[in-house]
Amino acid sequence: MRKELTKKTLYQWDNTIPDGLDERIKERQARRGFLKASGLVAASLLLPACDNNSPNIEQSITKKSNDLLSQAPWQTFSAVQNQLFPKDDDSPGAEDINATMYLKSVLEVPGIDGADKKFLRDGVGWINDIAMQMTNKAFHELSANKKEEVLQRIATSSAGENWLSLLLLYIFEALLTAPVYGGNPEGIGWQWLEHKAGFPLPTKDKRYYLLT
Amino acid sequence: MNDVDVCIIGSGAGGGPVALTLAEAGYSVLVLEKGPWLTESDFFKDELACCRRSVYTPHLKDEQHVLEDYDGQNDDGSYKWRAEASSDSGSDFWNGNCVGGSSNFMSGYFYRLKPKDFRLRTEFGEIKGANVVDWPIDYAAMEPYYTKAETVIGISGKVIPHPYQEPRSTKDFPYPPTAEHAVSNLIDKACLELNMHPLPTPRAVLSQPKDDRRSCEYSGFCGSYGCSSGAKGSSRAALLNQALKTGNCKIQPHAKVYKLSSDQTGRVSSADYYDKNGNSQSIRAKIFVVACQAIETSRLLLASTGPKHPNGLANNSGQVGKNLLFSAGGVGTGEFTYAQFDTQLAEAMKQRGPFVNRGLQDWYYINDKEFGAPAKGGTVDFLFRHPNAISKANGEKWDDNGKLMWGHSLKQKIKTVFTETKYLQFEVFNDWLPTDDCFVSLDNSVKDKWGSPVAKIRLGYHDHDLKVGRYLAEKSEQVLKQMNAKNIRSSVSGSPPPNLVAGGCRFGNDPVTSVLNADCQAHDAENLYVTDGSFMPTGGSVPYTWTIYANAFRVADIIKNRI
Repeated sequence: MRKELTKKTLYQWDNTIPDGLDERIKERQARRGFLKASGLVAASLLLPACDNNSPNIEQSITKKSNDLLSQAPWQTFSAVQNQLFPKDDDSPGAEDINATMYLKSVLEVPGIDGADKKFLRDGVGWINDIAMQMTNKAFHELSANKKEEVLQRIATSSAGENWLSLLLLYIFEALLTAPVYGGNPEGIGWQWLEHKAGFPLPTKDKRYYLLT
Repeated sequence: MNDVDVCIIGSGAGGGPVALTLAEAGYSVLVLEKGPWLTESDFFKDELACCRRSVYTPHLKDEQHVLEDYDGQNDDGSYKWRAEASSDSGSDFWNGNCVGGSSNFMSGYFYRLKPKDFRLRTEFGEIKGANVVDWPIDYAAMEPYYTKAETVIGISGKVIPHPYQEPRSTKDFPYPPTAEHAVSNLIDKACLELNMHPLPTPRAVLSQPKDDRRSCEYSGFCGSYGCSSGAKGSSRAALLNQALKTGNCKIQPHAKVYKLSSDQTGRVSSADYYDKNGNSQSIRAKIFVVACQAIETSRLLLASTGPKHPNGLANNSGQVGKNLLFSAGGVGTGEFTYAQFDTQLAEAMKQRGPFVNRGLQDWYYINDKEFGAPAKGGTVDFLFRHPNAISKANGEKWDDNGKLMWGHSLKQKIKTVFTETKYLQFEVFNDWLPTDDCFVSLDNSVKDKWGSPVAKIRLGYHDHDLKVGRYLAEKSEQVLKQMNAKNIRSSVSGSPPPNLVAGGCRFGNDPVTSVLNADCQAHDAENLYVTDGSFMPTGGSVPYTWTIYANAFRVADIIKNRI
């Protein structure tokens, strides 16, 4: 009975994927492998559209509060991110790269389509619903093994897979973007992957949403 | 009473040469550019700005395209097409809407066309299902302007003997080649062992300072990125900045031209645009030059109806938007592990910054019985996988079965890709044959934020393009194999690269079958010129930008002599 409820919830969720967001379709398009690098790279295919939020940008980037990570929805985001990108002895995990604070800024500054932001936020409710149905606990309260079970479960739905895939994308941004955006503190992600960044790097007053 | 002598719509590779030439000649020039005016001080190696957010291009909900893809056949054998708005599909067909246009974001990989490209129909005959024609001018008419672009834009390179070397009026490039990566020697060695002729790639990137532009600083992030040193030969850095110094040229950013109005005689009377605040403005000029990149140029003309132009400006032939061209071909990849090299070479292979700078044109014309009759071939260029780190990591999150990965296994996979492997790629450029299935029209339902119909683009291709592309990809794979690369694969398809686009307003001598005459002047609007890549009736097998620059310099001289 519980499983059927979960299944229904899962596939109802599929109807809420915003237009143009389907990560799997985009991946296929990117894999068509034809967009030539001589001018612009295939990454342009993955550009999300933008909304016109007018957030308190400075505050969202610079405010770093441990309290926040114990509050909804960041508590859930943080727990999922740690599961998706765990810390290892020789490599940084989601916490080390400020993944949750970075995601918070992504949701607050212009650049990402409003429907995509809503989809990201709504996922917190869904994953907790499913965690409750499977275990009677909220996601962040679960053991690592149980968390993994929930993630495996939601990944069987298109929406769940898209949601996790998007969270991974913003984890990679937090890992590898210029530190001025709040992730990748002191280039920790670049060091781990021996990635030589280009130069000059953006300064605080030249972050992308301040340029045009 | 005119506001200016010449009004240019679009500030990219097609607009810049005209602005500079006419401003230097003392005429008043106004350049209207839809996007913002960014400069060197705004360009950083910021993957979010360049490639993951809409900074240099419009937000798709504000401005987009409708793309029509092949969707099978009807019972009578005719093709079915499926239309989808790009804000729904996520496919972005914009290329750089800011002062200087997409030339800000090119990697400056520059080749000239060759003499036979100007007479493809005569040289190789008709191809069924393709609208191949000869150009109304020959290579000799363009050559002085290719040479001019080398000096004015600043093209770095080295001429070496080659079976298909095109004639040149100067011995060599005005700037020596940009610094080269160690892999270039390995490519040379493999090619020579295979009896191929590796070519140093000419680049529109300064290897030495010029005017107020610094030489390349070799950060290793070039294509897709705006240049912070001024070394890249964008229309903005190389041409518009010089035009401004004359005092005769003005640039108006955030000016979206939505219509060219025309009078009872058919002449263009004004360029009507929305300013940054959304207010409509109007500019009157003696001469109007359109250079919005091929798709938007066709769209603007189609939207600009007038008393003598009921079907759109310069469209009494019905040819505006037709025979749109992309670049056919594809990409291939081979992998090297650093462990397969000695320590010194492994370190050299890890270096980022210098250019790979190698291409092959051994099959620019194919004369191979196994292929079939003699045919036009193309160009191959070698390059490393793009260094964008976020997209590289993000591309690894699917396993071989297409299942999403995460956790320790994904981290290990990413670590290997970043630290143990170097990816050498090749790109194949061959002619995208002009056909009746690739064209621009106006969409009836989707509008931009100003309420104008967006461009609808039908994206059909000719099977011959794939045959040529596969032939070239197969040859290129031999080079990677000779270099001991592993996991070699390539992909040739009919998916168009949006950044390599031309055609739509082909030039020709017959007003019935072309939009522009040999001077790139509209057949039926005598004060209208088109100077972006739209004029090309066939595309050649190299990136378009050098030819666009050269042709725009040529047309600029024609305008200067008449005005």
